[in-house]
Amino acid sequence: MLSYILKRLAIAIPTLLVLIIISFLLMHSAPGGPFTSERELPPQVLANLNAKYGLDDPLWKQIGSYVWGIVTEFDFGPSFVYKDRSVNEIIAQGFPITLTYGLLSFAVAVIVGVSLGVAAAVRHNSALDYAAVGVSIGAQVLPNFVMAPILVLVFTLWLGWLPGGGWQGPEYWIMPVIALSTSFMASIARITRSSMLEVLTSNHIRTARAKGLPERRVIMRHALKPAMLPVISYLGPAFVAMITGSVVVDIYFSTGGIGKAFVDSALNRDYAVMMGVTILVGALTIFFNLVVDILYGWIDPKIRY
Amino acid sequence: MVMTSEQRVEATEIAGKGRSPWADARRRFFRNKAALMGLVILGFVVAFALFGNSLAQWSNEELDYNVMGQIVELGGPSIESGHYFGTDDLGRDLFARTVQGTQISLAVGLVGALIACIVGTLYGAVAGYFGGRTDSIMMRLVDIFMAVPYMFVLILLLVMYGRSITILFAGVGLISWMEMARIVRGQTLTIKGREFVEAARATGVSAPVIILRHIVPNLLGVIAVYATLLVPLMILTESFISFLGLGVQEPLTSLGALISEGAGTIAYGTTWQLGFPLLFFCLTLFGLFFIGDGLRDALDPKDR
Repeated sequence: MLSYILKRLAIAIPTLLVLIIISFLLMHSAPGGPFTSERELPPQVLANLNAKYGLDDPLWKQIGSYVWGIVTEFDFGPSFVYKDRSVNEIIAQGFPITLTYGLLSFAVAVIVGVSLGVAAAVRHNSALDYAAVGVSIGAQVLPNFVMAPILVLVFTLWLGWLPGGGWQGPEYWIMPVIALSTSFMASIARITRSSMLEVLTSNHIRTARAKGLPERRVIMRHALKPAMLPVISYLGPAFVAMITGSVVVDIYFSTGGIGKAFVDSALNRDYAVMMGVTILVGALTIFFNLVVDILYGWIDPKIRY
Repeated sequence: MVMTSEQRVEATEIAGKGRSPWADARRRFFRNKAALMGLVILGFVVAFALFGNSLAQWSNEELDYNVMGQIVELGGPSIESGHYFGTDDLGRDLFARTVQGTQISLAVGLVGALIACIVGTLYGAVAGYFGGRTDSIMMRLVDIFMAVPYMFVLILLLVMYGRSITILFAGVGLISWMEMARIVRGQTLTIKGREFVEAARATGVSAPVIILRHIVPNLLGVIAVYATLLVPLMILTESFISFLGLGVQEPLTSLGALISEGAGTIAYGTTWQLGFPLLFFCLTLFGLFFIGDGLRDALDPKDR
């Protein structure tokens, strides 16, 4: 098991480095420097600015010190637009918010999705099954940017039950979480249902039933674990898509997470903040894929370490 | 699908009363009610995109000065004013705008899926055909690329090199060739051991020709299925970026951009601005998902 984890880590670390270097080169090759503006700066000022931010060093040295700063001190450098704020401060402000509603949405998607899928599979071809299939097909075409305005329209403007935006208390969490989790909940339900249906016809379930175990125990102890494998491999991509979706949530509900920092910096051409967010999201993705891989290896003993 | 009708007739004559795998697949597809419904829905959307403009009373650029400033009272959908879907907050005809948005969204979906297919197929076929070290390096690279948060990188690209529609088209396609490459590689591994590939190799056919003439045509079924499922994903990606205001720019528009506009103005009570683009967005995705699922069941009966 340990060597399996180490092998996975050996892939994860170079991946992260490649990501950092690619985004650095992208930023470096962008037309116009960070200090290009309407007003032409005197050459001396420009030279001083470049020296301050280390932009007059050779490229390899810039990359080296950027990577070194991230690896040793978790330092993404200064913002190019807000002279008094570092990228770290900007990210640190929004990250806890994104994490809060992100994890909540993830939990809702997994718990509701898996329960719905299992219930549909256990009561195959019942009204419940058809309802679950219908919901999951319908929700497939309701991504976060479609759900968000619909929710605001219904719950804020028509019913007046929930605040339309902001981040002050649990009632502000409800709509972002629903908007973010709906389409993933649907996918998880669909995957769980078909995988559960397949597992329920396998030999070990017949044996478990034949030896007289109560149906509840058959489902919970014997069927659920193997049925979770395809769901777990879906969790990696779902996690990435959810972080991406947080951009929409931040913009539409004014929740103020890192998605807002990203779009603001995109509109301000603040490349340092954009890179910082991209790398952070990439690192989270890689970490999450690692967790999924380990979970996978733990559930399925057939995977060789 | 790959055969011309003459070839097909010839094939049925040779095989007597037998059916070709393609004819079989077609029969399975047309027996699938959901897939047929998808086909009808998509047909409607495509017809709307192609011929909608000849029904429109207004062009997508004209401002209707009669409703300007009173969009909430006068800009709603009505037959008399000629604005079947109402107007947007500038007084432009929403029907014409929705036609334009549907055209662009469909185009981005098709072009993006096409790019993803070409790049993914060639990459996967090359990796699978050569095998060994080439294969493991190429596939390891795909693993690394898959961990990149593409939406963020694409936005980074759009901001740096200007929000041009070319970058959007290419970028959306380049996001998702990796999954295609994996699938194609797996299929290539099984095909390259077959006799006809061996025969080609024995007669001295070069590797690029074998890949293009002998391997890729045998992958067309898989590619077709995956391509149909890619189109809606491409449309989703494009709409997502346009919703953030970073994608298609005025005067062009896409369904995502229209949804974004509509979402921004619902507080004033102009729900039609959200409703109609949303309706066409959902119809397009529904149609494409159903067709994709139907094709998968028809062409690849094992994978259900």
